[in-house]
Amino acid sequence: MCQVDEEYNEQLEKRTVPSVSQRCVKCKEGTAALIIRAGDAFCRGCFKDYFVHKFRAMLGKNRLIFPGERVLLAVSGGQASSSMLAQVQEGLSRNAPKKLRFTPGIIYIDEGGACGQSMEEREGVIAELETMFRATGYPFHIVHLEQVFDLPISVLEAVSSAPQRPEGSYKAAVEQFVQNARVKGSCSPGEGHMDPAVLDAQIQLSHLDTQDLANGTPPSSLQHQQDLERLFASVRTLTAKEDMLQTLRQHLIVHTARTKGYTKVMMGDSCSRLAVKLLSNISLGRGASLAVDTGFSDQRYGDVIIVRPMRDYSSKEIAFYNRMFGVPSIFIPGLDTKAPEKASIQHLTESFVTMLQADFPSTVSTIYRTSEKLHTARPPHSSEMETVAKCLLCLCALDTKEAEEASAFHATLVSERLSEKRVPESAQVGSASTADTVGQCCSSGVGQEGGCSSRGQGCCSSNLTPVTPDLKSLLCYSCRLTIKDMTGVESLPPYIVSEAERRHRRSQMKKEISEFLLDDEEDEVAAS
Amino acid sequence: MPILCSSCGQKRAVLKRPKTGHSLCKECFFWAFEEEVHQTIVSAHLFNPGETVGIGASGGKDSTVLAHVLKVLNERYNYGLKLLLLSVDEGITGYRDDSLETVKRNQQQYELPLKIVSYEELYGWTMDAIVKQVGLKNNCTFCGVFRRQALDRGAMMLNVDKICTGHNADDVAETVLMNVLRGDIARLRRCTAISTASEGEGVVPRCKPLKYAYEKEIVLYAYFKKLDYFSTECIYSPNAYRGYARAFLKDLESVRPSAIMDVIHSGENLSVREGVRMPVQGNCTRCGYISSQALCKSCVLLEGLNRGLPRLGIGKHHRLHGKILAQEPLTQEEERKLKAIDF
Amino acid sequence: MAAPIALHLEFGGGAELLFGGVKDHQVTLPGQSQPWDMKQLLVWIRGNLLKERPELFVQGDTVRPGILVLINDADWELMGELSYELQDQDNVVFISTLHGG
Repeated sequence: MCQVDEEYNEQLEKRTVPSVSQRCVKCKEGTAALIIRAGDAFCRGCFKDYFVHKFRAMLGKNRLIFPGERVLLAVSGGQASSSMLAQVQEGLSRNAPKKLRFTPGIIYIDEGGACGQSMEEREGVIAELETMFRATGYPFHIVHLEQVFDLPISVLEAVSSAPQRPEGSYKAAVEQFVQNARVKGSCSPGEGHMDPAVLDAQIQLSHLDTQDLANGTPPSSLQHQQDLERLFASVRTLTAKEDMLQTLRQHLIVHTARTKGYTKVMMGDSCSRLAVKLLSNISLGRGASLAVDTGFSDQRYGDVIIVRPMRDYSSKEIAFYNRMFGVPSIFIPGLDTKAPEKASIQHLTESFVTMLQADFPSTVSTIYRTSEKLHTARPPHSSEMETVAKCLLCLCALDTKEAEEASAFHATLVSERLSEKRVPESAQVGSASTADTVGQCCSSGVGQEGGCSSRGQGCCSSNLTPVTPDLKSLLCYSCRLTIKDMTGVESLPPYIVSEAERRHRRSQMKKEISEFLLDDEEDEVAAS
Repeated sequence: MPILCSSCGQKRAVLKRPKTGHSLCKECFFWAFEEEVHQTIVSAHLFNPGETVGIGASGGKDSTVLAHVLKVLNERYNYGLKLLLLSVDEGITGYRDDSLETVKRNQQQYELPLKIVSYEELYGWTMDAIVKQVGLKNNCTFCGVFRRQALDRGAMMLNVDKICTGHNADDVAETVLMNVLRGDIARLRRCTAISTASEGEGVVPRCKPLKYAYEKEIVLYAYFKKLDYFSTECIYSPNAYRGYARAFLKDLESVRPSAIMDVIHSGENLSVREGVRMPVQGNCTRCGYISSQALCKSCVLLEGLNRGLPRLGIGKHHRLHGKILAQEPLTQEEERKLKAIDF
Repeated sequence: MAAPIALHLEFGGGAELLFGGVKDHQVTLPGQSQPWDMKQLLVWIRGNLLKERPELFVQGDTVRPGILVLINDADWELMGELSYELQDQDNVVFISTLHGG
């Protein structure tokens, strides 16, 4: 049907014909070297100033990283994260006018085992990265994706965050830090002029988990290599593979941060990357968590906060900066390298956004601005951290539990039920009651047993292999889609399966003891 | 060996459902499709017994299937609704003439009353005449804005309680993507609502009973039921930017068929940061229709057409609203800017 | 008849994978009656250097969106893009900014 039922009248800014050999718009003197996203031509020098300033401005504006805090830089070797590393070096260097004051470390996740790289290729890449990391003088951690098979169950628990710092404490902490530095006559990074609050948090953290990855089995034991291969072979679509990889990578980073005493993690997502991520996450059903997935800070893990300081740079700015100022980076083939356009939802979205951006230069910045206006459905309250049900895999608030009946989630369940073997009389049952059974039977793991057996023929998606243990009820809408694309869940790393079992036992226990418990509501009723 | 229906297990399956991946026979598909629309109507409380419901009928597949299914369900479940068809004649020669014939046949086939409201009688302009003045580039803006009000005015003439339209899951998902691409946060928030609230005078509440029905299934339903519908696209070019969103959604669907529902789920679960300004809805001071400005879009567009300044409604010229209301002439400079048909 | 010109071509950011993993290429374009421009260079690269998946490098008559081009270390958008007339000893760089390369 005709779709022009809403008023879309503002014309989109079409690409303009490039002009040749402009002067720099900033200093009006230098010869322009590149055009940045606003369509402005910059010379080399002004571009550098602009680029360097933007990084500090982003951190300054958000006031999340405290002086002396230990920050883990997630570096993939690619252009954006390598550029981020260079900006941190620049900002911490002695002569920088507005100095950064945190203590950095680097983490690299070697995903070669999931992307079909040979051992030699992986070792080559790691050797090259080690040289790059060593040159910075920062501590670095090389973690292999295979190590997910050694992760403890605690990764999947969001730790309640450190008490909120009062307003103005950032300024005080900075002043304190500067004063301490003056007394000591030195302010080189890594010497640990710790803000007491940070120190406390880190002492707590180091007790949190005693299992250290480095002390466990050798990272790439043959056993785990096979485990990882089996895991990725059990995922049927590239869309789900990419999603799984992202989830596991995130778990490894957070675990490393916790065990090594880092309280912040910096990710190198550029605004081009985030625009693609936002649109592909919408397509993957992750609308409820867009804000945490694409915002400046991501507090879903509680104690370790993810920040994205590169989110104001376009991939073009980054590529030009790296090229002009000799920032090293290496291209490491990933899951979707050389893949056809429609190989996965993520890949398709990237092609789409890049194509649209070529025709309409404001595409990326418009999508990116959309992300700034979004908020998580339920803003996380640090005190209620424990009580909000969270997705087993992505740790975002569940968007499936109290779904309204008139919703896409519910409608899909209805469709599934109506497409399966139907018991003749079920057709006559009133709509309200059948809707209820559907909701319970297919979305809650605990109710499943009773619900299904009483109705005889499987009402829970019979076209799927039955999963043991049932993960579905513990997952958000989008992670369910990923698991649905797997042939089975037996190959998942043990910490995920164990945590699922633990959660099921807990809710089972809660159910069993519920009749003996007086909850608050009943207390009130009794009192009145 | 043919694939058997996953529901009855006896008959040969005729289609694979994109939403769930099940294979169904014709009979089970009809049943499931109708039941799903019923579930949508019941769970979203779209109608109350005794209400008069106007079905926006264009003669296309969506509204034809909607009219058919609503008639079936109204009888099967005793909704107690008084259904009627509501059509808009935009005045597009060669497109509307034929599709209105289809609607008239539908009226006979479904034995539902039909009311046709024309742009000509409502606004004094047919789309053909508008295209003559504004050219082919922005005519869809006029058509869309005028149609919205035309349905409302037609509904009020007939004392209709609710209007329902044939928007399907693909349309809703496409609109979500479109609003993300345009950074239109206000529409992004509204566009997944299944019905509009009945607030404000001069506006009849609207709903989309086919919101969760895939376009593919609507076409198949119409095809297997041999429904009479008109399938030519509008002869005036459609919105180019929406074309991108549509093509992208089709690609998404081919990668993962549930993607259409997944996009809608995303849209339903978005929430907007506090402090982001939302336009305040008021009423048009001229015609009383809902509007966030002093004059509604329709009145501004109409004024532009009547003054021979079609650009008046295209782009932002809010500061001119006062002059229009006071029936004052514009300055030469203002007129010069609005006259050029270079859009 | 213009003389042959020598160019230094460089591929990075993953684009090199389409050229057998080789980043640097020293090439000589044959002499022809018209001066060489970027548009013709892309046709030449497609015919002489690309090892696989031409659609991942060129689309239509230009580079695939997401691949940046620098001519003598300046943005090609400042140099007239496809219409830039190549000079002997020019340095042309192609950097992919796409995630999966």
